Amino acid sequence: MSAADVFVAIAFYVVALAMVGGGLAMVFTRDMVRSALWLVLALGGVAAIYVLLSADFLAVVQILIYVGAIMILMLFAIMLTPNQVDLQSAAPRAQKIGAALTALTIGAISLFAILSHPWNIRAVPLNAPTSERLGVLMMSTYVLPFEIASLLLTAGMIGAIVIAREE
Amino acid sequence: MALVQIGLYHFLVLGTLLFCIGMYGALSRSNAVGILLSIELMLNGVNVILVAFAKYIDTPQELAGQLFAMFIMTVAAAEAAVGLAIILSVYRLRNTIQVDEIDLLKG
Repeated sequence: MSAADVFVAIAFYVVALAMVGGGLAMVFTRDMVRSALWLVLALGGVAAIYVLLSADFLAVVQILIYVGAIMILMLFAIMLTPNQVDLQSAAPRAQKIGAALTALTIGAISLFAILSHPWNIRAVPLNAPTSERLGVLMMSTYVLPFEIASLLLTAGMIGAIVIAREE
Repeated sequence: MALVQIGLYHFLVLGTLLFCIGMYGALSRSNAVGILLSIELMLNGVNVILVAFAKYIDTPQELAGQLFAMFIMTVAAAEAAVGLAIILSVYRLRNTIQVDEIDLLKG
């Protein structure tokens, strides 16, 4: 094991701790604005995880789209709907217990599947710049999903404007 | 040893954790925006797992995981925009976005 491995391990655990902590804080905070800001921490951590997974292009896209655009949208929505503080304590206790049980059950099943499945792991992990190859793939093999995604985005944006417009 | 050598399993477990935290939030929140925020966390957990597959799994479709993650991001952006627009217009009509108070269709 080299010094680089130890560095990657430290980086992974610090980022993973920040992400899980941010996610838990987001779920349990009552104030919606704070909740959204905790989510920013978790989503920024995902960008750092992409860097560790040698997905350079996706890391930048994650920061641009999630931490930039989507979170701004969410904060706008929170501030345009005032007096909607999430009274989690007022939510029925049975609902919270049910939610926790569902999440724990699905988590346990997923973990069991992950740890018992014989993954076909490659000898040398992918470790090269991906932007160029992603671009080529999107314009060749995955050109149809790419076009459908652009169509979906256009339709979504027009739909959002029409729905949110004041009469 | 297995804890220091970061591999596929570490990322899979992290993604699963994020997904489950998001699922708890989506099911236990009563604020519609809070539910959307939790769903974003769930989508990101799945994305982490997909990108980890792209790095570690031996497959003829190189980088398919990363492309899947990109398409999920696109759909998530559209979903967030439309969802927030719906929430805003519901707030204008009913002055609330607590999901258990929006029950016009309840028999």
